[in-house]
Amino acid sequence: MAYVATRGGERAIEQAERLYRAQMGEITPARVAEIERALPSLIDRVMGEASLYAPDLAALALAQSGGDLYEALLLLRAWRSTQPRLQIAAPVTQGRMLTHRRISAAFKDIPGGQILGPTLDYSHRLLATEVVQGKSFTPVPVEKAARPAPACHPSLAEWQKAQGLVEAPTLAPVDRDAIPDLTKEPLLFPAKRAHTLQSLARADTGGVLALGYSAMRGYGNAHPTVNELRLSEAEVIVRHPNGTEFSAGRVKTSQAEVVTTRGQGKLRLGFCATLGWNEVKTIAGATLDLNAAGAPKGSPVNEEFFLYHTEPVESSGFCIHFKLPHYVTFQSSLDALRDAKAQRNKTEEPA
Amino acid sequence: MSLDTLTRPWKAFSYGFLDASAKREMRRKILKAIAVPGCQMPYASREVPIARGWGTGGLQATLTLVNPGSVVKVIDQGADDSVNAASIRRFIARVSGAATTLDTVQATIIQSRHRVPEEKLRADQVLVLQVPNPEPLRPVEPNMSVARQMHADADYGRMWLQLYEQIVRVGRVMQGASYPSLVNGRHVMTPSPIPRWDVPKLNMAKHLTILSAGREKRLFAVPPFTRVEPLVFDDVPYRVEDHAGLTCRRSGARGVFMNEIPQEDGTSQHEVSDSQLGVKLLNGEEPGEMWYRDGVFRP
Repeated sequence: MAYVATRGGERAIEQAERLYRAQMGEITPARVAEIERALPSLIDRVMGEASLYAPDLAALALAQSGGDLYEALLLLRAWRSTQPRLQIAAPVTQGRMLTHRRISAAFKDIPGGQILGPTLDYSHRLLATEVVQGKSFTPVPVEKAARPAPACHPSLAEWQKAQGLVEAPTLAPVDRDAIPDLTKEPLLFPAKRAHTLQSLARADTGGVLALGYSAMRGYGNAHPTVNELRLSEAEVIVRHPNGTEFSAGRVKTSQAEVVTTRGQGKLRLGFCATLGWNEVKTIAGATLDLNAAGAPKGSPVNEEFFLYHTEPVESSGFCIHFKLPHYVTFQSSLDALRDAKAQRNKTEEPA
Repeated sequence: MSLDTLTRPWKAFSYGFLDASAKREMRRKILKAIAVPGCQMPYASREVPIARGWGTGGLQATLTLVNPGSVVKVIDQGADDSVNAASIRRFIARVSGAATTLDTVQATIIQSRHRVPEEKLRADQVLVLQVPNPEPLRPVEPNMSVARQMHADADYGRMWLQLYEQIVRVGRVMQGASYPSLVNGRHVMTPSPIPRWDVPKLNMAKHLTILSAGREKRLFAVPPFTRVEPLVFDDVPYRVEDHAGLTCRRSGARGVFMNEIPQEDGTSQHEVSDSQLGVKLLNGEEPGEMWYRDGVFRP
């Protein structure tokens, strides 16, 4: 007898991967292009959670993983982790963003106006079953407004600051090249503000929603009101080695600012932003941020709790690692259990 | 000047996958961890092409240490051929060009999940242990910032209390694997989920052990010739698993850590857990010097 029966590991894992890939068939440039074109919301979500703005690579990752979001994220993050950080772009300010959608639930109207932009918020969610019957679904063309909306909009919080309604945080000056980078430093607590916001920006949408929703529903200490929700495109302004600044392109970003009236006579702000357009995540994330101040340790709105537990690559990886064998650990516990049982039987015998 | 002159020519990935800045950080943190035995050092922990929780911490340490002259062995639960060990070994070989082996004696770097090999390691070998949960205080204090403060204060009272309560409730310490151990008389560490059988192998060992947790972004080390003492009360001695009397159903070997194989008739059979040692014994080869002889630990 030999150990042959258990020596098939290498071949088995190769075949297991082939089985998975066989489900999806050939991955062609046309398929990747179609995914990028047809699934913009999914592409945005993956780019945000991977913190890598590359729609074509996000589409490729989705094609390669067969739509398993966590696998797609890991593909992108593992690729991203080896890339050098060449530049830090200039700060993006709200007043300079090309804004597609900007709404406030705190006021009926706001300086600059409410801009609905692209949204399914008011759509009737009727499944277009005619498509499975062979007819295509053609969207009704967009009608142009009588006058175009302005491309840029002021920040609502700036107006509130001027009114003395919100506390303007004192900004510590940070050198542009010295901004803390979560992907190159560990997250420690109390977290640097930059790390908190970076961590929320790449957090799992579902996880942030679950914990944010728990805070909204009453497990937090502050009720959110959406002060401003924005979907926009931001210019990535980088510095050429010769000193001139130029735009390297635009990225889609979403951001949400929520407020609560509970506090010491002033509005308190919660903030979250991410790459790509993802309204649910930014509203839920901003709610967590709003509730983080003074939250008891171990509660879901405590910063350490929600930042650790909404990290998609870490949480999904740990969850699936339970598929790995654990028989050594189990054997060790079993030994202790049997011994304890034997001892118990020994002491119970006389009775 | 152009951007070209500021960067190196593009390559698909660096030697050993990790880029130079990631390796630099790992080396600095490994040195720090060696300088303060058992103390957890936070590190950035890059995403690597295997899932978090599947050995990314060990992998980053190995990728930092590996060179084309290395001989790498990867173990999962004592076995070289389990799927995750095979996958990690294949990845390391692919990105480093290092040789691989199943033989503990021949390896220069041994990355392991949940076991320390039964053959003694030498001073020229490095053991890299994958650690799922580096925080021994987690069962008594889940909040990491509070736990860090407790380590700083050497405040391990709640750990002792937990062990004491187990003895009071069930008559013995119930901690199976990852038995909390005091390193160099200062820091309590979790030795990763190795069985109690393996913990004495780290005490005053000739080899360096690096314990790295990728998902939790912490690494710590047991340098050569460092005390590793399991937490025990004076009157309740440390006990390893009761495997001394078990016999391997394949090789007939006795006195080493065994895997239990349940049988259909309700009984159990056993196999040597260290798979390559099992092969050696089966083939009648002479294994290297062993930590245990006939179930008795001999340092």
